[in-house]
Amino acid sequence: MNLRIRNVARSAPVSIMVEGVPMMAHPGESLAAALIAAGHWRFGEGEDPARPRTAFCLMGVCQQCLLRVDGRLVQACLTPIVAGQEVSAA
Amino acid sequence: MIFDVAVLGGGPAGMAAATEAAHSAARVVLLEESPVPGGQVYRAPPVGFAMKPDRDRQEGDALRAALAASGAEIRAGCRVWGLGGGPLVAEGEPDAPFSLSALGADGVPFTVEARALILCCGTHERIIPFPGWTMPGVIGLAAATILLKAQGVLPGQRVVVAGIGPLLYAVAAKLLAGGGSIAAVIDAATPGEWLRALPALGARPDLLARGVAWRTKLLAGRVPVLAGAQVTAAEGDKVLSAVRVGKRVFQADALCIGHGLVPATEASRTYRARHAHRPEDGGWVPVLDAAQRTSVPFLYAAGDGAGVRGAAAAPAAGRLAARTALQDLGFSLAYAPKEDAALARARRTGAAMARMMALRPAMIEAIPAETIICRCEGITRDEIEKAAAAGANTINQLKHFTRCGMGPCQGRMCGEAAGALLASARGVGLAELGFATGRLPLRPVPMASILGDFDYADIPVPAPAPI
Amino acid sequence: MKTRFDAAVIGAGIMGCATALFLARGGMRVVLLDRGEICREASGVNAGTLTMQMTRAALIPYALRAHEMWMAMPAWCAGGDVLATACPGLSVAFTDAEAAMLQERARIRREAGAPIDLIDGRAAQVIEPGLADGVKLAGHCPIDGFASAYLTGRAFRAALQEAGVTLMEATPVRAIAGRFLLNTSAGAVAAQRVVLAGGVWLQDMLAWLGVTLPIKVLINQLVVTERMPQVMRTVLGVASGLLSLKQYANGTVLIGGGWQGIGDRARGGLAVRSENFLGNVRLAAHTVPALRQARVVRSWLGLEAETADALPAIGPIPGIDDAWIIGSVHSGYTSGPYMGRILAQAILGEAPELPLFPIDRLLHQGSNSA
Repeated sequence: MNLRIRNVARSAPVSIMVEGVPMMAHPGESLAAALIAAGHWRFGEGEDPARPRTAFCLMGVCQQCLLRVDGRLVQACLTPIVAGQEVSAA
Repeated sequence: MIFDVAVLGGGPAGMAAATEAAHSAARVVLLEESPVPGGQVYRAPPVGFAMKPDRDRQEGDALRAALAASGAEIRAGCRVWGLGGGPLVAEGEPDAPFSLSALGADGVPFTVEARALILCCGTHERIIPFPGWTMPGVIGLAAATILLKAQGVLPGQRVVVAGIGPLLYAVAAKLLAGGGSIAAVIDAATPGEWLRALPALGARPDLLARGVAWRTKLLAGRVPVLAGAQVTAAEGDKVLSAVRVGKRVFQADALCIGHGLVPATEASRTYRARHAHRPEDGGWVPVLDAAQRTSVPFLYAAGDGAGVRGAAAAPAAGRLAARTALQDLGFSLAYAPKEDAALARARRTGAAMARMMALRPAMIEAIPAETIICRCEGITRDEIEKAAAAGANTINQLKHFTRCGMGPCQGRMCGEAAGALLASARGVGLAELGFATGRLPLRPVPMASILGDFDYADIPVPAPAPI
Repeated sequence: MKTRFDAAVIGAGIMGCATALFLARGGMRVVLLDRGEICREASGVNAGTLTMQMTRAALIPYALRAHEMWMAMPAWCAGGDVLATACPGLSVAFTDAEAAMLQERARIRREAGAPIDLIDGRAAQVIEPGLADGVKLAGHCPIDGFASAYLTGRAFRAALQEAGVTLMEATPVRAIAGRFLLNTSAGAVAAQRVVLAGGVWLQDMLAWLGVTLPIKVLINQLVVTERMPQVMRTVLGVASGLLSLKQYANGTVLIGGGWQGIGDRARGGLAVRSENFLGNVRLAAHTVPALRQARVVRSWLGLEAETADALPAIGPIPGIDDAWIIGSVHSGYTSGPYMGRILAQAILGEAPELPLFPIDRLLHQGSNSA
């Protein structure tokens, strides 16, 4: 799945690893947007299946999109794509 | 170095405030969380991306260009987590410069000091909880705007757009323009409410025309528009697959829903400025004089964070705040302010939209008992009402009784709904509940980022208490 | 006059709540007043440490008895619960100077009744695998633990109601006339006895009765992390007492230790002092290295009262019959419920299990009269 809107000029795609699986994304776009564009909405199970990790506010407020990138906890909506990032559940 | 003016938040109000202040030879710094200033409405696409500019982009670009030329120092992509100085000093000490602790875009901590501080912190979105709102695939309307306009990504293959206010139709129109498919638009406002807002909208024929164009696009796309209706549940297994509106079910893999905007007041609360609860302004707002001064000396607020009036009204408020700050600091202004007739119109329209987007008690009452209100801590309506019955009288007490609002978002997403439920259970107004005390960090901050390198011997451990 | 209470307790923190509860259980008609809400000041925002190793030696016998009360709280508090959890406690030394301090302090506390033994760093890491390397010496006390202090108000509220205490929240007392007529925001409240239990505001309360007793205000900083996987399982401190660390069942780690923030009696706790915030979290991360993985979610401040000799003010107010005071207990939350119990015993005319801490020693001769 690719939900990216056409007619947008983007930086050349690079590869990142999401839970060990390669995924293409564009440097600079947010990790949250890249995951959503790939149809990947569920970012992790969290502590309660009724409220899993996911993108929600996309502006850095809600803290629901927490992920681990290269070992560090980050908010996916505030984290720009960089080639080679290793992404896993928080 | 101590700046004359620091501006916290680089949306339309903040960009204009920094630009204005820098014009009068003041030393100005603007701190912004996004990599490029712009704010939510005028948010710029990522560096290296190019999209067909719409009107918001053009207005945003104009503000960005003026800011870049102004001489103000721009610290974008930074996370401000600590606020100090100003009135936050020990008894008897004179007021200190305002002090903002931040992590730079590179992750390196820094501190900015300034004699005056202008808060332009904008809003976050109000989303009244409903069954299934924690399902992946459900996002805010403002979130959808960011996704569509700044990232160029559709939220789903088939989308339901729901909620209240102009953002509803803006998101729907953007979805169609981006090649997306809309299953339905669910407008909580009735046609009558829109009709009553018309006179105020008439003050901004441009907006009115835009609204008409949005509706026309929906009609042409044969998108079902349900007026005076509300989403009753988001359903799916693991991720969203359907949106229920009463008896009707729409298959969808994304739901964009929002019920208005809430001013972000954590900074003004941290500085202990006086606040008032004004539903028509979006909720709790700092009390301002006519020149954007808060109750704290040399602390100002402008833009939607000081009361929702929309992006169009924000720059003028930011400029006014900057001029007031400069005057209070003893600067002579570079030029006399001119009253902006467009501002009054923008404010009038903004006020009408803010009124339409104000918290709706009926929607709060409709929340089922087992629905999660605080998604950080998993607190339901039922638990909030039990706490009310057990004697929780204020928002701060509700936190203690239930942990509602004690998670990483610190009540930003749930605070209003939780407050409304508590107020309703107690039979009092929201204003009587108070608001959560503002404390740092403004956002969760990674320990590793603030610790830095240190030797144990250099930790300034105070003298021990007597044994 | 509507009701004349047997006792009016002013200040609904842990001291006031416990005193009011045991007075009511002893048969008195009690009113408990607070200018704000129940246990919303120090009693609701402290670090919830139930440790002997930060407790002053003179208070150890009290803290040990209070520890038993905390662990059995639902049984005596009508089901009220603060999730008190028993676990071992460690107080660690990273330097020779700290080791010397620890040895001395452990000895004094042991003599006061706390079962503290000294162990080396490796033995300490067996008890606390989250502990950093480099510990030279550790004080180990099997009797330790922690509570969720924010639950204290909720826990007491139901018990107070069940015991028949009239709870008047958001009801500031402005003055006390006669013996005793309380001038409150909700009108006059009459009581045969009055108990001042106002934490750092005891100084102002005593002034209502014409008594001068300086109370120093400590502005203790606290920091909490986001929920995280288990990184520790004990209550951890350092020899100087300037760190307390514990991880709650929900995964959050609370960092305390009494580093000082900005605030005062009049304005409350205003803000953390940034250099003290940094020092406190650095000390925490040095002690439990896995905390580097945490995100800090919130900091706040709790106001602690201290008398001139840093020992409690618990007992009758000299020169004024039927007026009592309770407060200024170092690490007061730890021994709070027991202090309330013994003061209630004294007020009820019984002999307190352990001696009170009368304030005569703190009052200047001749400068006070009722």
